[in-house]
Amino acid sequence: MRARSLTDLVLLVFVVLFFVFMLAPILIVVLISFTSASFAAFPIPGWSLRWFARIFEYQPFIDALLVSFTLAIVATLLSCVIGIPASLYLARARAGWANAVSTFLLSPLSMPMIVIGFASLFFLSQIGIGVSFTALVITHTVVCLPYVLRTVTAVYRSIPPSYEEAARILGASPLVTFREVTLPLIRSGIAAGCLFSFLTSFDNLPVSYFFGSSQTNTLPVVMLSYMEHQFDPSIAALSTLQLLLAVGALIVADRVYGIHKMTVAT
Amino acid sequence: MTTFTRRRLLKSGAMAGTALALGGFPRLVNAQGAPLNVTAFGGVWEQAVRDCFVAPFQAKTGATATVSLGGPPQWLAQVEANPEKPPVDVLIMTPDLALTAAKAGLMDDFTVEKLPNLAQIPQVFTDSVIGKGTVFDYGVAGITYNKETVAEPPKSFAEFVDRVADGEFIASLPSIAYAVTPIMLIWAMAEALGGGVDNVDPFFDAVARMKDNLVFWGGPNDFFNHLASGEAELGIYFDGRTWNHYDEGATWMGFINPEEGGSLNAVAVQKPVNANPLAWDYLNEVLDAENQTKFAEIMNYGVTNEEVVYSEKLKPRITPWQNAAFPPYEQIAEVRNEWVDRWNREIGM
Repeated sequence: MRARSLTDLVLLVFVVLFFVFMLAPILIVVLISFTSASFAAFPIPGWSLRWFARIFEYQPFIDALLVSFTLAIVATLLSCVIGIPASLYLARARAGWANAVSTFLLSPLSMPMIVIGFASLFFLSQIGIGVSFTALVITHTVVCLPYVLRTVTAVYRSIPPSYEEAARILGASPLVTFREVTLPLIRSGIAAGCLFSFLTSFDNLPVSYFFGSSQTNTLPVVMLSYMEHQFDPSIAALSTLQLLLAVGALIVADRVYGIHKMTVAT
Repeated sequence: MTTFTRRRLLKSGAMAGTALALGGFPRLVNAQGAPLNVTAFGGVWEQAVRDCFVAPFQAKTGATATVSLGGPPQWLAQVEANPEKPPVDVLIMTPDLALTAAKAGLMDDFTVEKLPNLAQIPQVFTDSVIGKGTVFDYGVAGITYNKETVAEPPKSFAEFVDRVADGEFIASLPSIAYAVTPIMLIWAMAEALGGGVDNVDPFFDAVARMKDNLVFWGGPNDFFNHLASGEAELGIYFDGRTWNHYDEGATWMGFINPEEGGSLNAVAVQKPVNANPLAWDYLNEVLDAENQTKFAEIMNYGVTNEEVVYSEKLKPRITPWQNAAFPPYEQIAEVRNEWVDRWNREIGM
């Protein structure tokens, strides 16, 4: 009994230390975003919201934020349009090539993003798309697609095929079966895929970097360029806002679907 | 039948996605070629480019210019991928990448006929990028120190090495992850200690002596944090950045150009072949003495037009380029990979 208590205590200490190690740097960035000083230093000399105001004063941040939002939404929608039908087919397919196609579609997860970005720049330029928002949408969809594919496939495989078969036997058309049976059952997988897809696109730097222009710069690209030549804590403020966005999205997803359901893979 | 439906769904999804991706966003597609597309780094750099160069260009030509934020590797890759229709018309480049672009035949020649203000730029700056561009702005990498903890800073690289090796200070040096470390540190220190581009042993020997009292910075903000937190007391850093920190409230920072001369770290401008011809008008504004004076006042960095007269505030801060060590950029580019490899084996940071 005593040995077990000791084990629990050690485990508790380990977990606490682990979370402190993981969260302390983030907490410091959040604190620095509220500094009154003109440079990033910790501890902060006083409190101020001036760096949050700076975000809205600096037009490239706002322009890039709009590009990032639009891009993340479009890439997520396209990932769903392509990824959901692909998941439904590939999850139950028995043919050998289906496995190969599935691996191919998931392959961006295992490739360095910078390679995808660099190769895409040259390929899309060769076919005339060049540095444009369209090019960004294509490359971000390639990067986001595996997240939708993976989560929807995992959820769909956990659903017995007999549910859909029963609906068909009772006279439902394929479309009605999909709308009334399949879609409600895979909704949590779609939500999880959309969430991961949106956040992946929104935070992406290595791919977006190669397609940056005055009209297509995303927020991470502008943040990197700003950070290399400016020393004020507005990047910390921007990071805090991004963190709030991510946490907010997770809370909403948890309330609507439940994080546990979204992450279950069978 | 179910299989057929899913297959149809898959097929129609893929087709719809492709159609949307290729043609669904015409209004968002970058309209290349219409306005002049120039480049800038983010933050104060971008504002200075807009105020000092874009505004006079637009006033004189009536044309419009857009400013693309990013970095030289990004812009060079974009020009390499689209040499017939480059998405950027004017590039801001580091000398090594400027040389790469020039040797690849991607950049136009700079001549006084095309750029009248080029006559006021010392020839050495144009020669340093083999005539396919020129240097318009520079910083000097010297010794930046915390005045509160370093009463008598080292006056030379040699003294810097001796005192750090003796444990008098903890020094912060740029790591090999920082793009210009081979120039601002390896070559500069080797040259100062009796070596040069053909012999960087003095640098590696010096680091071996100092190794117990060194920390390394990966980006300029790391260096500031090292000094602000007390993790280091001095280090190798740029004059302009030091004065920018100073003006923003870090008045405890000081800078010294070492007796041997800190390395001159140049920023070049180039025009890609096939870029918008209006780029010449813009570049002429970039090389204009009045515009460069204004740019230097904002950036705290030296500029290259010989007719520029710095203000009383700026004059003591700017290291004249003649007092800096002018790196042999072309030769450094040739041995750069060897130096990086040796760094990884001997220093590892």
